[in-house]
Amino acid sequence: MINIYIGPLILGLLLGFVLGTRIRDVPRSGLKFTTPVYLVFIIVAFIMAYALGPFPYYVDVPLASGFVAAAVGIILGKLTFGRGTKPQAEN
Amino acid sequence: MSTILKIFVFPAAMVIMCLGVLTILGGHITPGGGFQGGAMIAAALIFCLIVYGLKDSPLHLSHDFLAGVESVGALLFVLLGIAGLVFSGFYLYNLGVDIYHIVPVAIKNLFDYPDPTHAGILPYLNFAVGLKVMVGLTAVVISFMGFKEYEKGSTETNVEDLDYEEVE
Repeated sequence: MINIYIGPLILGLLLGFVLGTRIRDVPRSGLKFTTPVYLVFIIVAFIMAYALGPFPYYVDVPLASGFVAAAVGIILGKLTFGRGTKPQAEN
Repeated sequence: MSTILKIFVFPAAMVIMCLGVLTILGGHITPGGGFQGGAMIAAALIFCLIVYGLKDSPLHLSHDFLAGVESVGALLFVLLGIAGLVFSGFYLYNLGVDIYHIVPVAIKNLFDYPDPTHAGILPYLNFAVGLKVMVGLTAVVISFMGFKEYEKGSTETNVEDLDYEEVE
C-alpha cells in the first residue's frame, strides 16, 4: 500500500489553486491558451516531478508530490475561478 | 515582444510557479524556503508581466488580490508567532503540531511533516513568508510598470528637460 504524506500535498494544492485563479483569457492580445496547452503543461509537470524526485525522507512515491499538487492546483484554480474575470485595464 | 516569446512564456511561467511552490514546501529540509520559493513564483509572474504587458498579461493581478495575499501571509506569520507566545511564553516558539497532546491523531498526522526533523510550524512559516515575498516582489514591478504608463500619459515636464540654471 502506498502511504502518501498529505501535508505537502495540501499546501501545494492550496498555493497552486490561488495562483490558478488568477489565470484569464485576454482576447485582444491575439493569443488563446486552450485545453491542449494545459494538457501539455500537466504532462511536462509529471515528467519534471519524476526527474526532480521526492524530498529526502518523503519517499512514498517517486515523484516530487508538491510539484504535482501545485500543477493540479493551478489547473483546478483555472477551471473554477480562472474564467470570466474582468480585463486588468477595467479594474 | 515577439510571438515566440508570447507562446512560450505563459506555460513556462506555470512550470516555474510549480518549482517555486516545491521550493517553499521543502524549505525545512532542503535548500530553499519561503523567501526563495516566493521569489521564484514572483519571477514567473514578472516574466508574464514583462512579455505580455501590464494590461494583457494572462495572470490577472488586481490590487485586491495582491493586498489580500499580502495580508494573509502577514497574519499567518504573526498568528503562528502569537501561538508560540501563548502556549510557551516565547514568540515564534516551535510548538509542533500536537499542543499538549490534545490534538487527535488524525489531525496530527495531517499537519505533521514526518521527517526526522519534525519541523512543526516551520513549513507553515515558510508558506506565510512565501506568500508575502511573492506578492511583494511582484507589486514592485507592477508599480514601476504603472509609473511608466502614467509617465506616458502625463503632461508633466520631464525631469531631463528641465533647465537647471533656471530652476536655481
